[in-house]
Amino acid sequence: MHRIKAIIENTFKEGLRQRILLLLIVFTLLLIVMSVFLEPFALGESPKIMRDLGLAAASLFGVLTTIIVGSALIHKDIEKRTLYTVLAKPVRRSEIVLGKFLGLGALVCLLVLAMLLIHQLVIFLYEGSFDFHLLIAFPFTILEVGVMLGILLLFSSFSSTTLTSIMGVIFFVIGHALPDLKLFAETTKAPALKHIAYAFYYVLPNLDNFNFRMDLAYKAPLPTDQLIFSICYGIMYTVFLLYVTTLIFERREFK
Amino acid sequence: MLFRDLTNTICDLVLYKVIILGIFLEMENAIRLEDIRRSFKNHFWQKETEVLKGITLDIHPGEVFGFLGPNGAGKTTTIKIITGLIRPDSGRATIFGMAPSSLQARQRIGFLPESPYFYEHLTGFEFLKIHASLSNRINADQEINGLLERVGLDRARKVQLRSYSRGMLQRIGIAQALIGAPDLLILDEPLTGLDPIGRKEIKDLILEEKKKGTTIFFSSHILPDAEAVCDRVGIVIEGQIREVGKLSDLLKKGLPTDEISLEEWFVRHIQKPGIS
Ligand SMILES: Nc1ncnc2c1ncn2[C@@H]1O[C@H](COP(=O)(O)OP(=O)(O)O)[C@@H](O)[C@H]1O
Ligand SMILES: [Mg+2]
Repeated sequence: MHRIKAIIENTFKEGLRQRILLLLIVFTLLLIVMSVFLEPFALGESPKIMRDLGLAAASLFGVLTTIIVGSALIHKDIEKRTLYTVLAKPVRRSEIVLGKFLGLGALVCLLVLAMLLIHQLVIFLYEGSFDFHLLIAFPFTILEVGVMLGILLLFSSFSSTTLTSIMGVIFFVIGHALPDLKLFAETTKAPALKHIAYAFYYVLPNLDNFNFRMDLAYKAPLPTDQLIFSICYGIMYTVFLLYVTTLIFERREFK
Repeated sequence: MLFRDLTNTICDLVLYKVIILGIFLEMENAIRLEDIRRSFKNHFWQKETEVLKGITLDIHPGEVFGFLGPNGAGKTTTIKIITGLIRPDSGRATIFGMAPSSLQARQRIGFLPESPYFYEHLTGFEFLKIHASLSNRINADQEINGLLERVGLDRARKVQLRSYSRGMLQRIGIAQALIGAPDLLILDEPLTGLDPIGRKEIKDLILEEKKKGTTIFFSSHILPDAEAVCDRVGIVIEGQIREVGKLSDLLKKGLPTDEISLEEWFVRHIQKPGIS
């Protein structure tokens, strides 16, 4: 346990001390604050855009931080060989994977929560009351971050860090475009294409499963079955990714 | 009669086994390399080049062994195989009779990589603390402070590694390797890139550890490095061990003793191969 704890602590501290983090935080805060100024332009939709945009900003912040800071840390570990002294200690490779995951995960968790609380504050200042209902988005953003982190770790376990960051972005984009792919699969006439599209739809991580922002912003009743499915999906997908990562990482050479 | 013979034979057999086992335990090598081969390709379309061409070597417990050879001879590759960072294509490497990948083996070693680059956001103390935890040393603050003092970094303990000098990094790297008082130290080019004072400090550390009975395996491409500290040296050229033995014996064969790097000597001897 103390070995995983040491890696978690190190990853957390290292992530926190990345300068790029500051840029991401400022950018997100700007988006959140900006959403207030967009309110008057949103006509009938008035109280919604501030909510939707704020939640989207916090979620985007979580994923971007995961990809950018995650890639930076992995880059140091592998390309700059900071991991060598760690690997020579009596520590399992699986402990390293898990420690990295939990360390970065905890960091992003805290930062996303901070962003959501600032969002609440902005709503409070604008409307005179909080809207804690929106915080339901938090666990789902974290599930999305977990899957993205799993993808990053998976690619870093066998490929270069450049490829890892590229794949991070690609999977993020694809992950949110999968509903469109499904639509395509349902409507296309060519049976071969249909099968391929469905195959991709079911295998690739569907990040849209974690998006309940519309429902939350419009205070629509939340689809309970979808919430439960989303939680199971996120946890299972992440565990699977970490498991495969560990299998590959255990075989990895450090040339 | 037959019965007596039989019991005698059995007794003898048992005795032999005990003796052989005793010798085996006594002589259990700190490092054993058996015909290690390893190839690399630089690009996937290129042909593989064999970097290690059958390295066989035994490092005995308690000795200081200098693994010498010019740049590109395969020293780092060999050390990576010993520490389990890479695997040999064929052959076998063991540490105290165990596979490098086993946790028990790694519990007993300390490793300083070549031109190490550490987590620069950590302070010297934090860095050692993490490596202590990874070595299963909890509540190791006292040990860490002692190590910082030993490598002369006690005043830099709260400084982030990003502002450490080359020599300081090398010393914190050695401190990290010394955590948990390992039985075997593996140091890849511990003296390279240091000024004469830095070299002296590290050599003194090696000698201190030697006095404690620690086995030390270190690589260098500079011959005089080995003189002061080594019991034995091995000379590796182009992935093959050319010479193993006491340095004094090898020097009689015409190795240079002055401050020129082994490189020049190697260049001359590669041109007329077969010095042994
Ligand atoms: N990962 C690698 N890929 C391709 N070639 C490598 C790799 N690592 C080492 N080599 C080659 O193997 C040879 C030996 O390298 P190395 O073990 O680092 O030598 P030394 O440590 O003795 O200077 C060199 O020619 C080097 O170019
Ligand atoms: Mg080297």
